[in-house]
Amino acid sequence: MENESKFLRFVAGHPHAHVPFYARPAGSRRDFFRVLGTGVAGSFLASAPAQAQIVKGAAVRPRNTAKNAIFILLAGAPSHIDTFDLKMTDGITPTAFAPSTIKGVAWNTGVFPKLAASFDDIALVRSARAWAAQHTLSQTWVQIGRNPAAVLGDIAPNIGAIVSVEKKPERTSGQIFPTFLALNSDGAVGAGYLPASYEPFKFAASQNGLPNTTNADGAARLEAKYSLLQGLDGPLRAQSPYGDPMNDFSAFYQSARGLMYNAAVDKAFKFTAAESARYGTTSFGNALLTAKQVLEANMGTRYIQVTLGGWDMHNNIYATQAGQTSIFSLGKVVDDALSTLLADMKGNGQLNETLVVMMGEFGRTVGPLSATAGRDHFLQQFVFFAGGGVKGGRAIGITDATGARTKEFGWSAARDVRVEDVEATIYSALGINWTNIRYDDPFGRGFEYVPFANDGLYQPIDELWT
Amino acid sequence: MKRNVGGFLALAGIALSGVAGWAQTAEPEEPANADHAECTFFGPKRAQFLEAALGAARRPRRSFSQETEEIVGRLGGNRGNDTRQFVPGGSRTYINQQSAGTANVVDRHIFGVLQSRGIEPAPRSTDYEFMRRVSLDLTGRVPRPERVTAFVSDSDADKRSKYVDELLQSPEWVDKWTMFFGDLFRNTDQIRATNTVRRAEGREAFSAWIRQSLLTGKPYNKMAYELIAAEGTNSWTQGELNWQIGNRTTGGPAQDNFDQMAASTMETFLGVSHFNCVMCHNGRGHVDSLSLWGKNTSRLQAYGFAAFFAQTTMTQQPRDQRPDPNIYYWSLANVRTGGYSLNTTTGNRPPRTPIGSTRTVAPDYPFGDGATANAGETPRAAAARLVTSDFQFARAAVNYLWRELMVRGLVEPVNQMDPERLDPDNPPPSPWTLQPSNAALLRDLAQEFIDGGYNIRALMRRIVTSDAYQLSARYPGQWNPDWEGLHARRLVKRLWAEEVYDAIVQTSNLPAPITMTVTTRIANGAAAETRVVPWAMQTTSPSSRGGATAFLNAFYPGDREDTDRRRDGSDQQALTLMNNALVMNRTRSSTSAGQDSLLKKNINKTDRELIETLYLTVLSRLPDESERAAAGKALTAGNRQQAAENLLWALFNKVDFFFNY
Repeated sequence: MENESKFLRFVAGHPHAHVPFYARPAGSRRDFFRVLGTGVAGSFLASAPAQAQIVKGAAVRPRNTAKNAIFILLAGAPSHIDTFDLKMTDGITPTAFAPSTIKGVAWNTGVFPKLAASFDDIALVRSARAWAAQHTLSQTWVQIGRNPAAVLGDIAPNIGAIVSVEKKPERTSGQIFPTFLALNSDGAVGAGYLPASYEPFKFAASQNGLPNTTNADGAARLEAKYSLLQGLDGPLRAQSPYGDPMNDFSAFYQSARGLMYNAAVDKAFKFTAAESARYGTTSFGNALLTAKQVLEANMGTRYIQVTLGGWDMHNNIYATQAGQTSIFSLGKVVDDALSTLLADMKGNGQLNETLVVMMGEFGRTVGPLSATAGRDHFLQQFVFFAGGGVKGGRAIGITDATGARTKEFGWSAARDVRVEDVEATIYSALGINWTNIRYDDPFGRGFEYVPFANDGLYQPIDELWT
Repeated sequence: MKRNVGGFLALAGIALSGVAGWAQTAEPEEPANADHAECTFFGPKRAQFLEAALGAARRPRRSFSQETEEIVGRLGGNRGNDTRQFVPGGSRTYINQQSAGTANVVDRHIFGVLQSRGIEPAPRSTDYEFMRRVSLDLTGRVPRPERVTAFVSDSDADKRSKYVDELLQSPEWVDKWTMFFGDLFRNTDQIRATNTVRRAEGREAFSAWIRQSLLTGKPYNKMAYELIAAEGTNSWTQGELNWQIGNRTTGGPAQDNFDQMAASTMETFLGVSHFNCVMCHNGRGHVDSLSLWGKNTSRLQAYGFAAFFAQTTMTQQPRDQRPDPNIYYWSLANVRTGGYSLNTTTGNRPPRTPIGSTRTVAPDYPFGDGATANAGETPRAAAARLVTSDFQFARAAVNYLWRELMVRGLVEPVNQMDPERLDPDNPPPSPWTLQPSNAALLRDLAQEFIDGGYNIRALMRRIVTSDAYQLSARYPGQWNPDWEGLHARRLVKRLWAEEVYDAIVQTSNLPAPITMTVTTRIANGAAAETRVVPWAMQTTSPSSRGGATAFLNAFYPGDREDTDRRRDGSDQQALTLMNNALVMNRTRSSTSAGQDSLLKKNINKTDRELIETLYLTVLSRLPDESERAAAGKALTAGNRQQAAENLLWALFNKVDFFFNY
C-alpha cells in the first residue's frame, strides 16, 4: 500500500505532466502541419510519417505482439462484482449466477456461460480503479487516457487517433479502409488537436455494410453522373485557381469511390442474418462481427472502438423480466457476441494479432442493493483483456471479500491499475512507444501519449504477457 | 499622393517600352525628389517595385491574356453584354488607388502592408463571387437566383454595401450567428467532461438568449457582462445563467469551479486560453515559448482573478412538476462571504497551499494594477466590468469574428493571444515579436469596435465592405503560402455542415425539416417534447438533430465540448455528398413530392435555360462555355429527366458548391 499512497500523493500534486521548454526539441506546430496538413488546407494527404522531432520518447521496448486492437466501452459502468469480479453475497446475489471457479478464478456462469469456454484466452484485471465516478467525465477519461477536466483534456485525441497517427504511415496502397473505426459509438471522442484525417470513421454496424457506399440510382448511372461531375469540376479540382483545399477533394472523391461498389468493402462490412445470429442478433453483436471481418480483411484498419451502453443499473439490477435492462439481459448480449468473436478469431488465428480490451468507465457499489434494487456509482472496476499476445486463463489482482478495494495488486507497480496504465498497455501491445511526446500541440508544451509515462508514473501491465 | 501614383505609372510605362535598357542597368537610380522619401513607390523600396513591374512586363503577353481569359471563362465571364465587373490581375495599383487612402481601417492596414512588402493582391471579386461569399458568410445561406440576377445587373455603384445591409438585417443573419455564438459559448445539453447537465431546457433557454441578444443588437460588451455576472434562480427560464453553469467542475473543491470560471472568462472573452495553465503553476518554465505575458505571470496572480468568482454558488433545483431527483435546473447566486482559500489537497488541480502568510487571496484583476470590486459591487460583477472594459476584450472579439469572416485570425490560434505582444505602439523586447499578422489593424479595428458601441453588425459591416474582403480567391500570379496571413487573396473555406445541408434544401426547394428534442424525457412521465425547424442553422445544439445527424456530422460540426468545428475535408464527406439520402431524394424528380421543386419546375425549359437555371440556383453563377457544352451534351443523350437529375447531382458534388470561395 506504500506505493499506492506515494502514487496518489504525486498525482494529487500533478494533474498533468510538465515538460519544460528547454527539454523540447526544436520544431514547431507549423512544421508539424507542414507535414501532416492543416485544418484549412485539408489533411487527407497526411500520411507522411511523423518526423523525429515531433515525437520523442524514452528508450522503452514495446511488446509489439498485436497488430490491431478492439476497444469495447461498456458505457454506464457495469457492476464489477456481478460480472468479471464476481462476489457472492448471501441473500442478495441471484442463484441464477450459478457461480463456478475456472482455474481458480470465480466466474459468473449464469450470465457468461459461453465466454467461459474462451477463458484460456481471457485475462481479467481486478485491481483496477477509476479516478472519478461520473459517467461522461469517466467515459471521456477512458477514451483519452487522461483527466478530461485538466488543462490539456479538451484537446486530447482518442487513443485510437494516436494509434492512427502511428500506424497510418504503414498503410500499403491497397489498404483503403479507415485506420480508426468507431462502431455504434456516436459520442466517441475524436482526434482532438490532431488533423481531421485521424478522426474516427463513425457508423452503426448493419447488414447493409458501410453507409453511403452504394448509390440509390445504381452503379451504372453513378458512372454517368461521376463522369459528368469530372467533366464539369475537373478544372477546379486539379491545380485549382482557388488553391489546395479544393484540390484535396479530388483525392477524397477517389478514395471514397474506392470504397464504393467494392467487393472487398462489402465482404468486410456486410453480413448475413445467419452470421448476425451467431453473434446474438444485436447491434453490439453486429459491431463485433463487423470488427472481426474488417480486421480479417487486412485493409488498413488498426483500431476499432465499440460502445455498448445501458449499464447504469441504479434500479432492478437483477431483473429477469423480458424487456428489462439488467445484468442478465445485457450480460447475455455481451456473452453471445464476445464469445463468438473470441472463438472465431481463435479459429482463424486472428486472435493472436488482435488485442481485445473491454471495460466500463467505473464500477458499482458493493454489498446489499440500494433502495431501488440497484447499485450506484463506485470506483473499483474490472478490465477485460484477450488476444494480442496476452496470456489468458487468469486474473490479475484480487479484491477484498466485498469487492470494494484491491487486496492484492498483482502487478509490478504495486498499486491499482488506472486507465492510463490500460492506455500504455494498448500502445505497448501495438508496438507504440507509450512514452512518446509530440511537440505539436497548440500549447507547444508537448503532448504525452500517456501522461507521466516518461517519469515512469504509469506503465503497461507487463504481467499480462508473462 | 495622386501625383506620385501617376508618376509611377509613367515610370512603368517607360519600363514597358524599354525592357532591355532597364534590364542592363545594374541599380536604378534613386529619384532625387525628397517628397518621395516616405513613399513605397519612390522611396527606398522602389527597386523592388520596379523589379516586379519589369517581371510582369517580361511575361509573354500571350500567356498573360490566356491566363486571364481562362479564369474569366471558368467563371462564366467575358461575354459581350456581361455586366459583371472583372479586374484582371496584374494591375497592381487599382486597389491601392481605391483603398490606400480610404477611411476604411481594414484596407488602410491590409494594403499598407502589401504595398510595403511589394506583394500584389488578388484581383477584385466578381459580383457573382462576392454575392455568394457574403451571403454565406453573413447568413449561412446561398442567395436566391432571382436576387443574384438582380444584383449583377444593378448598376448602382454602392450595391455591394447595400446588399450587406440587407443581409445584416435578415432573420438568417440571426440564425447563423446564434450558431456561431452557441459554439463560442459552448451551449450544449451537458458537458461530458465534467458531467454537468443543463438539459434540453437549459440549452434552449441559452440559445434563445443568444438569439434575442443578436436580434435586438445588444452590444457585445453587454452580452459578455450578462454572462459573466449572471445571477438567478432558474437556468431553464434565464438563458444567461447557462454560460457559468457550464464552468462547473466535478471531482474537486469549490476552488476548481472558481478556476474554471476564471479560465473560461479569459479564453472566451479575452482570448487568453493559456491562463488555464497559470491556474495550476507559475508561467515560467511552462509557457515560456508561448507567451511573454504567461511567462511573467504567477499562479498567485491567477488566483487573484479566480478570487472574483469565489462568492459564486451553483445549486441544483428540483423541478416541482417532475419529482425526479435526476431532473433539475440550476440556480446561480452570489453569497456575501467567502474568499479564495489556499487550502486544498485534492481535486483537478495541484494543491493550493498558503504562500507566505497569504491564506486567502483577494480579487485582483491581472491586467488592472490592483483593480478590484467597487463598494456595493459583487466581486463577479466587478470581474464582468473589468473584463468588458478592457481593451483586450475588444481585441479578442475582433479576432474571433475576423477569423470567421476572413478564414484566418489576425492572431492564430484565436484563443491564444499573448497580451504583451499585441500592441504595435509598445512592441515586446527582442527576441519576441508582435503576435498579430497585422497589429495596427487589430488595434484600430478594436478601437473602432469600442467607439461604435460594441456593435457586432457594424464590425461585420466594416470587414465585409472592405476591399480586402472583396479580393478574389483566384490568384493569377505565383502564390506564396506565407502571404495567407496578409490576406493578399481570399482564402477559401468548406461550408459549415449546416450550410451544406441548408443549401441543398433551399436550392432543390424540397424541405427536410429537423426535429429537435426540447424538453427532458423522464422515466415515468410524459414523452419529451419536440420542435421542428426547417433549417439546420436553426437547430440549437449539435446533439439534437434527429435524422439529420449523420449527414451533418460528416462535415465536422464539432460538439461544443472537446471537439471544435472543423473545415477539413474527408472521404466520408465525399461518400455523403454522392450517396446520402438527403442528396439523392433531392436529385430525383420521381421521388420528389413537391411540384415546386427545382427539377419539376424547370424540366420543360430548353436545355440552355435549364442549365442556366440549375447553375444560377445551385452555384449562384452562370455556366461557362465548356460547362454549357458538357451539360448540354449530357442532357441530349438518353432520358432527359434522368440527365437533368444527373446534372443537379453533379452540381451538388462540385467543389464550388460546398466551398465558400
